[in-house]
Amino acid sequence: MDEKADLLQGTLDILVLRTLVTMGPLHGYGVARRIEQVSGHTLVLNQGTIYPALLRLEQRGWIGSSWGLSENNRRARFYSITRKGRAQLARATESWQRVAATMARFLEP
Amino acid sequence: MELRVIFARLFSRSHRRSANDIEDELATHLDMAAADLRAQGMSEEEATREARIRFGGITQNSEAYRRQARPPFADSIASDLRYATRQLRLNPGFAIVAVLTLALGIGATTAIYSLVQAVLLRSLPYGHAERLVYLYTPNPHIPLPPEVLAPSNADFRDIRQTNHSFSDMTQFSQATFNLSTATAAARIDAAKVDGRFFPTMELLPQFGRAITADDAQPGHDHVAVISQSLWHSYFRNAGDVLTRTMQLDGNTYRIIGVMPPEVQFPTISDLPYGSGSARTDLWLPLVITAKDAADRDNPNYYAVARLKPGVSIGQAQADMALIMQRLDRLHTVDVVGNGSTHGWGALIESVRDTAVGPVRSLLWLLLGAVCCVLLIACGNTANLLLARAAARSHELSVRAALGAGRLRVIRQLLTESLLLSSIAGAAGIALAWIFLHLLLRLDPGNIPRLQQASLNGWVLLFVIGLVLVTCLLFGALPAISASRIDLTASLKSMGTRGIVAPRDRGRNLLITGEIVLVTVLLASAGLLLRSYVKVSAVHPGFSSSTITFGVTLDSRYAGRGQGRAFFQRFLERIEHIPGVRSAGAVTVLPFSNAHSMTTLWVEGYRDNSKEALIDGAGVTPHYFSTMQTPLISGRFFTSADRDGGHVVVNQSFVRKYFPDQSPLGKRLRGGADPKLPWQTIIGVVADVRNESLDQPPVPQIYTPIDNIQSASIAVRSSMPPDAIIPALRASVRSIDSSIALVDIRTMQQAIATSTARRRFQTSLLTIFAGTALLLALVGLYGLLAYSVRRRVAEIGVRIALGASRSRVIAMVVRQGLQLVLAGLIIGIAVAFAGVRFLAGMLYGVRPYDPWTFLAAPLLTILAAIVACCVPAWHAAHIEPMRALRAE
Repeated sequence: MDEKADLLQGTLDILVLRTLVTMGPLHGYGVARRIEQVSGHTLVLNQGTIYPALLRLEQRGWIGSSWGLSENNRRARFYSITRKGRAQLARATESWQRVAATMARFLEP
Repeated sequence: MELRVIFARLFSRSHRRSANDIEDELATHLDMAAADLRAQGMSEEEATREARIRFGGITQNSEAYRRQARPPFADSIASDLRYATRQLRLNPGFAIVAVLTLALGIGATTAIYSLVQAVLLRSLPYGHAERLVYLYTPNPHIPLPPEVLAPSNADFRDIRQTNHSFSDMTQFSQATFNLSTATAAARIDAAKVDGRFFPTMELLPQFGRAITADDAQPGHDHVAVISQSLWHSYFRNAGDVLTRTMQLDGNTYRIIGVMPPEVQFPTISDLPYGSGSARTDLWLPLVITAKDAADRDNPNYYAVARLKPGVSIGQAQADMALIMQRLDRLHTVDVVGNGSTHGWGALIESVRDTAVGPVRSLLWLLLGAVCCVLLIACGNTANLLLARAAARSHELSVRAALGAGRLRVIRQLLTESLLLSSIAGAAGIALAWIFLHLLLRLDPGNIPRLQQASLNGWVLLFVIGLVLVTCLLFGALPAISASRIDLTASLKSMGTRGIVAPRDRGRNLLITGEIVLVTVLLASAGLLLRSYVKVSAVHPGFSSSTITFGVTLDSRYAGRGQGRAFFQRFLERIEHIPGVRSAGAVTVLPFSNAHSMTTLWVEGYRDNSKEALIDGAGVTPHYFSTMQTPLISGRFFTSADRDGGHVVVNQSFVRKYFPDQSPLGKRLRGGADPKLPWQTIIGVVADVRNESLDQPPVPQIYTPIDNIQSASIAVRSSMPPDAIIPALRASVRSIDSSIALVDIRTMQQAIATSTARRRFQTSLLTIFAGTALLLALVGLYGLLAYSVRRRVAEIGVRIALGASRSRVIAMVVRQGLQLVLAGLIIGIAVAFAGVRFLAGMLYGVRPYDPWTFLAAPLLTILAAIVACCVPAWHAAHIEPMRALRAE
């Protein structure tokens, strides 16, 4: 059970960091929406789970947050990636791609 | 969890979220989602609903968010603590009893530990003190303890040149000086030290310089290093002390250095057979001339060496033994006059062990005893907790039913225990402070560095450890047993109880264990008490109201007959003081830690040996009548006996040498050599205890005092000491104002000092045993009272069915006494196995003393019956109708 949670957690981390790199500073709802859209709605995300994940990434020093105003003038907390976050994303992307490639080779008919 | 995340959650403010922040952020999210959905054409209501669905469980997710925002475990620990506090507040009686019991145990243990820490564990103020060793050259031909035979000057120098084990070596001796002040003379305890003393001990002066080899040259030696306290008391902290001088025994000494306050070496407890007081205030150069340095045969000075790093005492001992094997051949003088010149060996002993060795077992004994008290306190608290857990079983099973895991329940219960032991620890520190001050008042005066005991950082660390350990000791068993919940059974009964309450095996075992500890403590205390009573009843052979003091003359009295003339004149003046009945002088006063041995050859005795040594002392004619030592037969000395042809012996002497005949008129001399003059026995006096009340008297001879430089003076007076002492001081001043009277005290005080350690240990152990008994009885009472309360229904049925009150009483008392008896039997067995550790501390009592081993259990049983009677009486007066209706 732990392994599965770790895997999912790690995946979510990459998705969040990647989203923040592409989109720039973004509020939690925006991050959740973006992940759903990019995954083509194949990933069913409980949007609420994004918030503990965001805070955890912030506590690791990979992202930062500050209050700002949304496109339709709502007070919202905006998250942005830090330098350490970009480095982490690069590391994680590389290792994820290696795993994916290995898996793909295995699963080739 | 990553360290960094834990750290951020614990300490970083910016990585937390306030409750408002979280609420705002999530509300915004839902609003945005709903707005998007509305834009896709959903109705207001549908959009809101769909937004919530997509968010997932709002409660869980926001709770997860909140948990991530708080320090790790903070939520559950805080709520556990809050809950624990509420539990304790709901039950103040329980909380107060538990905290007081534990605080008593923790406080007493902490106070004793602070003594152990100061005396045994804290390092001595000399750098790497464990490397300092005393050197001795024991000789089997000399019947003296090896620790009085230090290397001779020549041996010392040869060892220093040829050894491979020591980085430095020093010689020193103890001395006393009369310090002249404006008003009177004071006696100062001093050490004469060679130039390597301070480097070897690794002691540095606070300011000024230490004594060097140059100072120890004849003619350059009138310099002095003084202690902090002498600087304080005599020079009033003067800043220019290094330009000042002081008058010692009529000579002028220049001050060259002041030592820091912790430097007091050598003290009376640092040295084997040390004399003087608990501190040294003055260090002077020890001058050893070339002629002295070549002396191969007279061990005059203490020798201390510092082991090289990595060299063990055993290796150094082997090294020195080899050297002494070679040096032994160079010895040519028959030192004791018994015909042997060889046999000098090597012995090395740790300085530290010499100082604390005699008190180590005493302190560990006290710490062990007080730990027993603490264990009993833990036992009682565990019993209280077990009783409470039983009462809370319904609450606990509800918690379990709501999903609390077993570990979670144990954690909750242990949090309560930790809260209890922490409060008790805080109260215990306060109690320890009080106990420590009381303990230091009981200070027997001969435990090194006892007065430096304090509640320092190490002791406080010990308290924290104690709090955690006690928490586990009393909390673990109740927590584990309470967490063993049979859900269905417990919930079905809905908290009602059956007629017959279940047995509490755990609680019974605890009480039995407590009684075991109490029995062991009572037996030990009993043995020590009986020893103390026996020691106190010993008659010392002299009147304890005698006033005594010491007088040491200086070099001005070195001339022929001058010492004798001084003492004669002084004694005459004392005897003229109104209220003084008589006065006498003696070379070696009983209870003064000193010995004088001489060789002996008794005419007509079959087993005369060349090596026989006997205790001797010189006395003036009025000494025995002043001390009120009874004359058994013959006569005392008179002033006509000055020629040395007569001796007085004691009863032990007669028992050994003339068991079946009158010793009067028999002769003895100082050795086998026929040229030595004979001395005739003219009187027999009663045995006198010389060292302490618990050392049996030994054969002793007394001779008329000769021309001496130093003596103790005894004064028999019909007035209280305080009325006589000023007159004594005045009479010495009228002869010579630079001579000090030292150690002025009654023999009663001398005896009290010698028994002080025994009194200290006996009274403490008795207090601990008494406390332990009291605590165990409170525990027993608590157990029985609780068990009666739980069995109200059962007892009610018994009474209704015709059981008489006396039978109910007997039933309850029997339940209690069964536990006590089991504890007593095990306890006596344990005590029997353990008393041999006490054997060295006993006097006149065998370790398996039948009286003690009868009295201790008897006392426990009597006290236990009292503790049983109250609950039994309550049980007997249960109204059957009311008891049954109460269910």
